[in-house]
Amino acid sequence: MIVTVTLNPAFDHLLQIPDINLGSFNRAQTTTRMPGGKGINVASSLSILGDEVIATGLLGGQGCAIFEGMLRKIGVTTNFIYVDQEIRTDFFIMEEGKCRQTLIVEKGSPIELRYLNSFKSNFERLLSSVDMVEIGGSLPSGVAPTFIRDLVVAANKKKVKVVLNLPEDCLLECMQGTKQFIVYPDLRENKSMFGKDIYDPAARLGIIKELRKKDAEIIILKFGNLNYLVASKDEVWEGEIELGACTVMIGVRDAFLAGFIHKYQEKENLGEALKYGLGAGRSAALNNRNHPKSRQEVDEFYLMAKVRKVG
Amino acid sequence: MKKVKDFITRDLTSVTEDTPLKEVAELLSLRGVNGIPVVNMKNEVTGWISERDLITSIFPEKVKFENPDVIGFSNLSQVVKKLTQVGHAMVKDYMSKTFYPVKEDTPAADVAELMLHNNLKRVPVLRNNRLVGVVDRASLSAIILEEGSLD
Repeated sequence: MIVTVTLNPAFDHLLQIPDINLGSFNRAQTTTRMPGGKGINVASSLSILGDEVIATGLLGGQGCAIFEGMLRKIGVTTNFIYVDQEIRTDFFIMEEGKCRQTLIVEKGSPIELRYLNSFKSNFERLLSSVDMVEIGGSLPSGVAPTFIRDLVVAANKKKVKVVLNLPEDCLLECMQGTKQFIVYPDLRENKSMFGKDIYDPAARLGIIKELRKKDAEIIILKFGNLNYLVASKDEVWEGEIELGACTVMIGVRDAFLAGFIHKYQEKENLGEALKYGLGAGRSAALNNRNHPKSRQEVDEFYLMAKVRKVG
Repeated sequence: MKKVKDFITRDLTSVTEDTPLKEVAELLSLRGVNGIPVVNMKNEVTGWISERDLITSIFPEKVKFENPDVIGFSNLSQVVKKLTQVGHAMVKDYMSKTFYPVKEDTPAADVAELMLHNNLKRVPVLRNNRLVGVVDRASLSAIILEEGSLD
């Protein structure tokens, strides 16, 4: 059983439109509204792949019932702490004519300490019934990275495996003095880590080396749409999978992570897990949702992924 | 015959024995449900707390909830006194230690019988004593009607 943590969940609202005329009237041809946030996407994807998963985090407002109902419909068990503010909405605008995606995210309001304390107590209870915890996404306003680090410490004490899917600053803070099973830095904004360019092959190996020093068991780096490098203490693999020209990239990196975890738990084979992650990512991209369409589709796409051992 | 796993609400919202009653009231109101499981640190269910437990905690012991005519302004001072006490009370002071768990493979008909016999609106679903969800009358009715329509 896996628990995923999303402290700052949001509805992902996808608007598909031929071309945007800024400062003018625009009508979306298709709209899709779905529960989102890094941990939520991983939970949805794992559930589609047949894993038992609990989604936890902070949730509030009138949208709660719809948000949770949509997750449960695809098999995710929910266990949120309810706060006194409305769920954020992140808008993804896909201009099909220009093959261009624009993302507008809401910041959200600060969270009261009492809710954070309730969350922490609930999280510690959950640790008694799970094998792995995935922590992902941005932090709500006013929440320090040390809060996440405390969660990692609690999981380490219970010998529950930890997967960190976080931006660089928060990730490095959480890695101090803790043990992680998988480290997956979110480098979408900076495209670099430790000042090293993620698109430079030599720099990528440099990033791996630095993260290994911090005791990360498995490291995942994403560069490009669906180009990945994964490394354990003993080996390094690289892989990619073809995507269509104009695909929606919501939740693709989270679907990859879910696919990777799913297969690695099954076979403990880095190359196979990489391939399956790529299959899951492709399925999510073509699904126009933040999770794969079906396990069957991932099983098919997995065969299309190209992977090789590079170290 | 449909089983619990076919209509379970996979939600683990629960409270512990040390949760203040005030928080329970807030949670029940927010969720629009009439009762939730009480769990220990291992997520094992140890009891159940319902809106009825909350209301009986507020009204003086001598006032019978079953007889609403007796609950009047003549008891207001007692009610205020009790409200102050209840403000500091915790779940363990008022929870029901008798609860009616079901398992994921319990047939829908057995759940219906359990609910009707004991006048229950929601019951916890356990696996190895740990909470995995709840079932309520609405989802039970829906699944029974669906099965009936197939026949």
